[in-house]
This record gives sequence, structure tokens and C-alpha cells, in this order.
Amino acid sequence: MTEKDKTIEIRWHGRGGQGAVTSAELLALAAIEEGKFAQAFPSFGPERRGAPVLVFNRVSDVNPIRARVSVTNPDIVVILDPGLIYITDVTSGLKEGGVLIINTTKTLVDITSELNGPWKLAVVNATSIAREMLGVPIVNTTMLGALVKATGIIELESLTEPLKERFGARAKGNIDACRKAYEETEIAELSGIVEKPRKTFETETFPSWQELLPGCVVTEAGNAKQYRTGDWKSERPVLDHQKCIKCGICYLFCPEGCIGQNEDGYFEANLYYCKGCGICARECWTEAIKMVEEE
Amino acid sequence: MKRTGMEGSFAIAEAIKLARVEAVAAYPITPQTHIVERLAEFVANGELDAEYIPVESEHSAMSACLGTSAVGARTFTATASQGLELMHEVLYVASGLRLPIVMTVANRALSAPLSIWTDHSDAMATRDCGWIQIFAENAQQAFDLTLCAFRIAEDPIVLLPTMFHIDGFYVSHTIESVEFLEQEVVDKFLPEYRHPYPLDPDKPVTIGAFGPPFIYTEAKKAHEAALRSSKKVILRVWQEFSKLSGRHYSPVESYKAEDADVLLLCMGSFSETAMMAIDKMQAEGQKVGLIRLRLWRPFPTEELRQAVSKAQVLIILDRALSLGGTPPVCSEIQAALYPLKTRPKIVSFVGSLGGREISAQGFEEVIRHGVDKAKQGELDEFEIIGVRE
Ligand code: SF4
Ligand code: SF4
Repeated sequence: MTEKDKTIEIRWHGRGGQGAVTSAELLALAAIEEGKFAQAFPSFGPERRGAPVLVFNRVSDVNPIRARVSVTNPDIVVILDPGLIYITDVTSGLKEGGVLIINTTKTLVDITSELNGPWKLAVVNATSIAREMLGVPIVNTTMLGALVKATGIIELESLTEPLKERFGARAKGNIDACRKAYEETEIAELSGIVEKPRKTFETETFPSWQELLPGCVVTEAGNAKQYRTGDWKSERPVLDHQKCIKCGICYLFCPEGCIGQNEDGYFEANLYYCKGCGICARECWTEAIKMVEEE
Repeated sequence: MKRTGMEGSFAIAEAIKLARVEAVAAYPITPQTHIVERLAEFVANGELDAEYIPVESEHSAMSACLGTSAVGARTFTATASQGLELMHEVLYVASGLRLPIVMTVANRALSAPLSIWTDHSDAMATRDCGWIQIFAENAQQAFDLTLCAFRIAEDPIVLLPTMFHIDGFYVSHTIESVEFLEQEVVDKFLPEYRHPYPLDPDKPVTIGAFGPPFIYTEAKKAHEAALRSSKKVILRVWQEFSKLSGRHYSPVESYKAEDADVLLLCMGSFSETAMMAIDKMQAEGQKVGLIRLRLWRPFPTEELRQAVSKAQVLIILDRALSLGGTPPVCSEIQAALYPLKTRPKIVSFVGSLGGREISAQGFEEVIRHGVDKAKQGELDEFEIIGVRE
């Protein structure tokens, strides 16, 4: 097989609401615009803001794409949210000689110690670029710039039309963010053995059909307690004790019901469940709660 | 026991009363109405201590049944035709949740054109809904099989909803003689229903939860396995019932078929008319016999193979079309016999649609015509009998 015959497979790791689906779609549209064959599709499921999501691309110069199945052995992995590397196995199946692209505030050296392997590593602080250029920490279009820089899978210019089509009046900010990320992305060729960051979750195991109770009834009451919705957050609420008047409004509004009153009477979020929605910060009328980015 | 004259619908209602059903949710539709009207009377006059839930549609009827069965109440409903279709999506929920609801379907054609008359289109449209499905041919069978249906459905290793089919009008509205059982006998045969995981505020459970791709296949495999293995229980229950009543039921019932070279296979009430044709033809020295499929789901593959093993010609009379495909009973039987080295030639007919009748003489003609077709080797397409050209 020649280089041209190859189908490049990409796996995007993001969170519900971060726009990973849009990134993959824009990439596919741009590639198709260049005359290539391309595909973009999400891992279908319930849409939950903050929950980890996967999105896939396939791009080929010359061959129509037939595979309609998730990408498990990607050539390229793009990570929109730095926190994801601790809760999902982001480098799972990443090919030797592949490319790993991360949005992080960490430096190349720091991140290498966590995600070493026989691949090319690219880092960019996409969150800060997005904040600056778009005014919101939505990094999907920004990360497209990093992807193009690290892989050359399409021409940067090919993204302009799809971005305009998608974002209309807001296209300029997105194009600028994309370009800035392209310029700022740092790349290192790594080698050596695979290093994976320590995960903060346990791998789930699933029952055989014989183990299921009739009608799949669940007899364990309240087992949603085990569900760590805290994995969904990219920001966490931080309380300023000086400003808090212990009114409990935040407690009433938290959709996770994860705010409780501590011994001193302050209302504090349980970060195991807090999904970082920011509703408490918005509702707190003394502005005692600030949302701070997760590292 | 003494034989009593009674309409088929009322005989079923009698069985429901004897079964001490605790919840009924139904919407009236011809030709099923008499069953649930009679039950409403029983509940109103105190003869049956059950919750009768009048609902605004069949979709709601089956939905209400989900709830009553899930809390552990013995639950019954009945419907027909369009009503069964309106229930359709909820049927799958009932079986997927493994709720042992029992339902009578008074078989009737589906619109359009609007027809209130009998055929098996409604039954066949629910073929794949994961319920146990049984066909009864007369009021006595309807009474007996209703009682058995609860025992089968509620068996802890089965826990599956059970539908039994009677032909609209020909069973539902026909007065004939029926032998009933005493309440004490029924009480012994039918112990109290206990769902192993009922909805109970003191012991909460979740039912009907989400089944993502990592669990759905396992859930369906478990459902499939339960439906298949329900046959063991069905056989056991019918055997027990025969000791009690002297009346025998089996998944595939043969009538004078021992030495028959030619077999006619059908389902439902007109099988009895067909028997008359078999009687007459045998008296004339013809080697013909009849096979009635009693159990439709789980499909009794083994029993069927056994029953037709010696025949040369098998004439299958479907009472429904699978429009654009092979008639439903025929395709099932072809599939069951296909792997065998020797099997009879299969002649496929569809007849008696939307209430058009076949007389005993008509059945004779069907058999003769089937034999001719087999001789001529005209086996590749089914034929609608009695259609005007
Ligand atoms: S709403 Fe604000 S002021 Fe009120 S308890 Fe919560 S943090 Fe304190
Ligand atoms: S951010 Fe605030 S409101 Fe949202 S889940 Fe966390 S504690 Fe609750």
C-alpha cells in the first residue's frame, strides 16, 4: 500500500458541550472540499454536558471510506480537555508513529513524562487561545489548527469555507483562533516505552447474559451513588468564605444535589459528584463562588 | 363434570374469575368486547376482587398492565386487530421486562379495507414481540388454556407475557358446551403469583432502565433463552392440567395423522371444520391427516419435525399474508424443515382472509388441490385460495 492509499484514522476525546463533534465535521468537510474522501461521526449516546465523548474521522486521499465502526487503532488522537487523560485511556490503540495532540497548559517536557510512547506529541494551550480570540473556553476550532500543524492532514486554508458556513458572523474569531493555535503548537518526536497517566477510575466489567436478572431489573437501590459525575467537570466551584452568607441558595440550585452544609455552616460542593456546570456560581447572589479551571 | 352452554368470551371470563386475576386493564374492541365487559360486571358485582382499569386506548391498556404486573398483581387484558396493533410497541416492553401478563386476542383482520371479520393478520403482526403465543380453537380450549397461561407465564423460570389467540366470532361469539373446573381445583393448580422482583416502595428496584450497546445484546440473549426454555414449562403445565381435567394439549397436535401421506396444517378454529374433511376423506380410504399448531411461540421445531416425518405432502394453510413475502406459518415451517435430509413437499396456501369461510367441503378441495400441485411440482409459489380471477 502506498502512502496515498492509506486511510488516516482520528479519534477525538472531548466532553459533551466542547464541540468535538463540530471539529470532526469541519475536518471532514474541509478534506472533502480538497477532493479527498472523509468521514466524521460521533459515538452515539445520551448527550450530557461534561461527560467524556468520542468522535471519529477517517480521511483518505484516494479511497472511498467504507468502515462504519468506531476508530480503535487511531493514527491521530486529539484531546480537547486536559482532564480527560486521567479518566480515559486516551492513547488506547494509538499506532506506533502516530500523533497525539493535547490541549494543555503543561509544557512538552511535563506532559511527556505522563504520556510517553513511540509517537509524535503536540501540545497547545488551546483554552487560553480560545478565551482570548473567542471569549469562551470552547476549543474545538482552535484544536483544528493544532491538528493541521501536527499532521498536515489538510491545508489550513481549506477550513476557512467550512468555518464560515458553520459560524457565519462568528467565523472570523474561530478562523483566527485556529490560525493562532497552528502557530503556537509545539511538537516533539518521542520514542521509548508507553507511559500512561495514573487513572482515577476503575475499569468497568459487564455481566454475561446468564447473570442478568429477569427483565434486567436492578435491585441495588441508589446505585447511582457510585456514578462519578465529577469526571465530567472541566471547572470546579471555589468558595470565598468572606463573601458567603450561608444562605443555601447554591444548595437549592445544584442540579446534582452535591452541595452540602459543613460543620461551620458553609455550603460546599462534593467534587466526586460536582460536574462543574457553574449553576451555583451563577445563582450565588453574593458572588461567593468562582469557577476555576481543573488541571 | 357437567357441560354448560356458554359463549366463548364468557368462558374465558369465567376462567379469569377462577384464576383470581387481580388487575384488568382493557379497551373494548370487536370481537373481544364481551370478555372484558363480562369481567367488568364480575368486578362491579363483587364476584371478582380485582382492579378494573378502564383506559382510553389499547396502548394505555397494555401500559397499565405493565404497572399492575410489575407490582405483582396477576394481570389480564384482551384485545383484537387494530387494538393489538396500537399496543404493539408496549408488547415488546412487557416481554422485555419479563412481566407475566396474560392476554386474549380475538383474532380479526387488519384494515384497510376495514374488516371486523376473522383472520390471523393481527396475530402474525405480533409474531416477534417476545411473548409466548398459543392458539385455541374452541371455547373449551380457550377456558383451559387461559388457566394454563397464568401458570406458564408466572413460572419463576419463565416470567413471560402470554398471548393466546382465539378466532373472533367463531370462538368469541359462539355458544357451545364447556366443562368448567371447581374453584378449589383451580386454586390448587394456580398458586398465588409472586414476582421475584416486584415494584415495592419498601424494597426499591429499577425496572426498564437504559440498555446501552454493552448490555442490550445480553439482555436480548437472556430474553430469547427464556422464551425458548419456556417450552419445558409449557409441556409440564399442560401435562399437569391433563391429569386434572382429562384434556390433553401439546405444541403440535395431530389428528388422524398416523398413516397419512398427505397432511394439512392449520391454526385456529377452522381446524375443527378441517377435521370433518379429514374424517370424510379417510372414510373414503384416502391417507390424509391434520396437524394443528397449538404453540406458535416458542416455535415447536422438534415436535413439528416429528409430526410431519412420515408425510410426503404437507399442505399449509395460512390465514394471513406476509405481503410481498412467504406466508408467515409456511415460512416458519419451511425454515424448520429445511435442514432435514428428508422432508415432505410443501404446498403453501393462504385462505379464509377477513372472514371468508371455508366449509368442510372447501377443505376437501384444498387438500385435493394441494395434492395435485405437489404431483405437478408446482411448489415454488403460494396460492390464495378462493380468490376471484
Ligand atoms: S449561594 Fe452563595 S452565599 Fe449562599 S450559601 Fe451558597 S455560596 Fe454562600
Ligand atoms: S458546579 Fe455547582 S451547581 Fe454545578 S454541579 Fe458543581 S456544585 Fe453543583
